[in-house]
Amino acid sequence: MDLNRRTLAVREKMSQIDLSGLRKYTVIIVLLALMLIFSMVSPYFLTWRNLTNIFIQNTYFIIVAIGLSFVMIGGGIDLSVGYQMSLVGVVTAMAMMVYHLPVWLAALIGLLLGIILGLINGLIVTSIKIFPLIATLATATVFQGLSYIISKANTFRGYPEEFLFLTKGKIFGIPFDIILTIVIALVVSFFYTETVFGFRLLALGGNEEATRLAGINTRRMKIAIYTICGFFTAIATMVMISKANTTNSSFGPGTEFIALTAAIVGGVSFMGGEGSIPSLIAGVLLLAVLGNGMQLAGWGTYAQFIVRGMILLGAVAFDEYQRNAKSKIKIKG
Amino acid sequence: MNAEYIVEMKGICKSFGGIQALRSVDLELKRGEIMGLVGDNGAGKSTLMKILSGAYLADEGEIYISGQKARIHNPQDAFNLGIGMIYQDLALFNNLDVARNIFIGRELVRGPFNLLMDKKRMYKRAEDVIRELRVDIKSPKMNVARMSGGQRQMVACARAIAFQSKVLIMDEPTAALGVTEANKLLGLIRNLKDMGLSILLITQRLPDILAIADRVFVMKGGQRQDILEVSKITLDDVVTMIVKGKDRNENQAHEIEYKSFG
Repeated sequence: MDLNRRTLAVREKMSQIDLSGLRKYTVIIVLLALMLIFSMVSPYFLTWRNLTNIFIQNTYFIIVAIGLSFVMIGGGIDLSVGYQMSLVGVVTAMAMMVYHLPVWLAALIGLLLGIILGLINGLIVTSIKIFPLIATLATATVFQGLSYIISKANTFRGYPEEFLFLTKGKIFGIPFDIILTIVIALVVSFFYTETVFGFRLLALGGNEEATRLAGINTRRMKIAIYTICGFFTAIATMVMISKANTTNSSFGPGTEFIALTAAIVGGVSFMGGEGSIPSLIAGVLLLAVLGNGMQLAGWGTYAQFIVRGMILLGAVAFDEYQRNAKSKIKIKG
Repeated sequence: MNAEYIVEMKGICKSFGGIQALRSVDLELKRGEIMGLVGDNGAGKSTLMKILSGAYLADEGEIYISGQKARIHNPQDAFNLGIGMIYQDLALFNNLDVARNIFIGRELVRGPFNLLMDKKRMYKRAEDVIRELRVDIKSPKMNVARMSGGQRQMVACARAIAFQSKVLIMDEPTAALGVTEANKLLGLIRNLKDMGLSILLITQRLPDILAIADRVFVMKGGQRQDILEVSKITLDDVVTMIVKGKDRNENQAHEIEYKSFG
């Protein structure tokens, strides 16, 4: 009998342990596990050159995912980011290559355009009050059309050296885009954890009506988060086109899927109210490691689509499971 | 305006589309009293209180707080006037801890342009509020999603009173609670009255009203029926007023069977 009572007591104690906090480390653990697996599959995987390449090639995905996290943590979604990149990319490129504007001015125009596109999304979502998924799907199509019309389906290549410094330049031996990505990650992480706006963003995603009843202007907040997303998407676009040293309207679309998957895998809840930058970056790198590892293992590009889709399904299912599990954990009052 | 009253609502009208939810309702709440608001479903109790708390805007009517005419256009206005509301669904954030639930919208700030949260002061103040309320919450860092219904109700109370509120509105606070937790909450409401708050309590549990309220405000069909002194009435009086309204005959509603849920 004593053993049964002890067993019951231990079980009760264990049921009271909140494992939800460990969730933010799950993605890091999975990332390390994948790296271990692929290091056994291919001798080229765990080399310094390969690992740094993985990071360098994914800096703009990280920046887009960070921008998208503002919207997702706030309870929304933006499926137009890839198409914003298409439009911002061709406009920035044309400003430099067709209109021969100084690089700084072309970049400023690109950033402003990104902000405006984000603002448009925010205004549509809050004014017409349709699901953000539908609203941003619609704007994605509009942005894509504008991109093709403005660029006349042309390709622009061979940017000035000052622009290429974004990805080719180095400071103390570290590629500039890596420094930029790390600075953005640190600033946004601080923003989420220490600022009033960051705190209210969590609340907005957790319970929008309660946030409104707490006296917070939720409409203004939602417009702000879409605008911020547009701003970071524009920065990511500069990095993307600088890296490729070319662009046309097909550059960008598809990024939204990778950024969305990475964000969810990285612990940004699909329903809002949850997310952290370190886990989000781990989510991007997890997908990147998966792609790189599969390629080194000879699995081919098309198999990666299947795997990414399954990962997205699994991540959303796990997110939903976590939510249901949390609501079942109660302490007797 | 009468200085005895901390809240006066005069001629409040509200409609939703073609439905007249409130028809020229007057309400007066005395300082330091607990007033129960009762009435059948759809009587307009929650609508009236949501107007006072700023969640809704009245179509017509005036509100006076401590004798001064007040403009309550949103929940922030109500908060600034010292009015706190605990909604029926509590309006809590399951993804946040106790301290953050208390301070959302009224964060303690520091740093340039007051952009940064003063987390240390917030958690300290949350601890103080929990202690003042004498509630069974171990730490302000506890996640609200893991709490029982009674504890969640306590957190909602803490949020409503943490900022020198003068008036507290509670919408069906015991509806989802068991007997033990409901009794604890009623004890808390008495404590809040002792702390100087004036309380408006919406409830369908009439025995609760008779146990702790000073007066009962009865509504029917979006209209005020009467205000009754609890010390001078019985449960049957209240039920009769709810069912038949003020223009009732003098007979008691013996044929109406009332089931106590408390």
